[in-house]
Amino acid sequence: MCLSVPLSRYPLYQLGNPQLRIFRTNFFMTLVKPGKEQPPDTVQFQIPMEMTKCDVKNYLEKIYSVPVGAVRTRIQYCTNKKRNHLSQRVKRPDYKVAYIQLAQQQTFQFPEIFPQKDTALEPGSVEEMQDQFMQDEQQRQKADPRRGGVTEWFGL
Amino acid sequence: MAAPSRLPLLQVCSTRVFLLRCTQGFHSEPTVREPAYPPVIPSRTAKSKSAKKRREDDYHSQIRAASSVQDKLRLLTKLQREKYVVYPQTFTLNADRWYQHFTKTVFLPGLPEKFSVGRQVVDNENGKVPPAAGGVDPAVVDENTFSELRSLVGNGILQENFYLKKRRPFLQKEQEHVVAPFLSNLVSSVTNALAKYNPLLKKSSLDFNPEVSFYWVRGERTVTRGHRRGRVDPIRFQINDQPHCQIRVPEQLEEFLPLQESVSAEVPVVHFEPNRLPMFQRQYDNNIFIGSKVTDPCSYGHTQFHLVHDRFKRDRLIKGNLADQIEVRLRANAIASLFAWTGAQAMYQGFWSHEDLTRPFVSQAVVTDGQYFSFFCYQLNTLALTVQTDQNNPRKNICWGTENMRLYEEVKDGEVVGLNDDVLKLLVHFLLNKPQKM
Repeated sequence: MCLSVPLSRYPLYQLGNPQLRIFRTNFFMTLVKPGKEQPPDTVQFQIPMEMTKCDVKNYLEKIYSVPVGAVRTRIQYCTNKKRNHLSQRVKRPDYKVAYIQLAQQQTFQFPEIFPQKDTALEPGSVEEMQDQFMQDEQQRQKADPRRGGVTEWFGL
Repeated sequence: MAAPSRLPLLQVCSTRVFLLRCTQGFHSEPTVREPAYPPVIPSRTAKSKSAKKRREDDYHSQIRAASSVQDKLRLLTKLQREKYVVYPQTFTLNADRWYQHFTKTVFLPGLPEKFSVGRQVVDNENGKVPPAAGGVDPAVVDENTFSELRSLVGNGILQENFYLKKRRPFLQKEQEHVVAPFLSNLVSSVTNALAKYNPLLKKSSLDFNPEVSFYWVRGERTVTRGHRRGRVDPIRFQINDQPHCQIRVPEQLEEFLPLQESVSAEVPVVHFEPNRLPMFQRQYDNNIFIGSKVTDPCSYGHTQFHLVHDRFKRDRLIKGNLADQIEVRLRANAIASLFAWTGAQAMYQGFWSHEDLTRPFVSQAVVTDGQYFSFFCYQLNTLALTVQTDQNNPRKNICWGTENMRLYEEVKDGEVVGLNDDVLKLLVHFLLNKPQKM
């Protein structure tokens, strides 16, 4: 992600320095749907590599006032094996994932963005009759199950 | 008949032996010998489900036939595999629900009837024992003894916080420097003072920093990756706990509820794998230990005292926006520690998951951080937690517990301000617990 000020340029803290206050951060977090099933109080984010657990906690609490209980992070390594048409290795960029557990017994469920549409056709409509006809045809074309998969070639 | 003997047939037929043989057993039943086939059982070494089942059954019968408890424990714990390590004092959130699921425990707020009905612990009128509502004779302590205990406790608090000149403790060692000596002092002095009221305490053993460990199996999972993919594996757990101190007794405490009585509350079921808690797996020695070896006479548990570590103190949790987790963590600590202790006690008596308990095992615990005390009671009704043994097992383990109660408000100018008598009375009641027949 392109940044106006590189993240590594935040001033290093030394004892006696004034409290560092950042009003508009360079961080941007993405809420993602978990790949594996997560407990109801866990929210999954993709965060920039330079961000730490404390940064995530402060970000969510101060900007979005979300009560954060615990934060755990991991770095996902992505492949450098793929090659392009010039036979050069192409790296898929690595990314950092944060698992945030909400405090105060709150829960979060990632919404279904692409809901499964029930293909229940109206009885009596043209599509339903067509569908029924196709199903009957397929049933007619199938071989006799009593033959146990043996083809018509073997027989009278 | 004639062919093997080379004699003419008629001659053979007329011999005496031949006639005898022909006529002897003519009208009696022919001697039928049963065909002696070997028993039709599945193989031991085949790559089949029935072979695996036969190996497991052989293993179980080997354990049942073990001559001594030490042999039984060795057979149960000798095979090392990856297991989840359960920490009673944990940083994880909402751990008490997960621990209840792992140990099949029901949590009931408040204490059992024994501690709430006969609450009159202190005898206010000299020489007169007040009758209890339930007709049970509660343990009653003299007013003098109670005031003596109050002064002991007050002295203990002042000793650590006021009299002794202490340096500022190093990072995260305050509990160790300040509260641990006070707790040792409190336990040993109160136990000694109450020994004359409770003869069981005279025969008890007080251990400091004992090790309590327990190993059990609960639930199953399918291996997702690796060369064992697709196989069904049991989920193993291990607790290695170090309470601050514990009292072990030679006789078992009485049960709070009868074994077969069903409790209305439900055990929470968690469908996620334990590593989502998060909990981590390791492979090392499988230990089952109550604090002393099997041959020790004091093989039953009475009370444990747990000290909350610096990392899990109240002010830290409140600062980290986790104020509701304070009670949760105390409950998790009590459930895990007491389940481990009572489970190990039951195993020391020879019970295991396929030979379930015939009598409930009971223990008590006090969890404190120096100022706040909470009291817990645990009754172990069943050890049969594996998938196979849990199918028709209606029994559940029960844990009772109180909320946090303050012992004193603060220490000011060499005086303990606001010493709470209720907490002391409850502590005394806990320590006076003894089997009925004593």
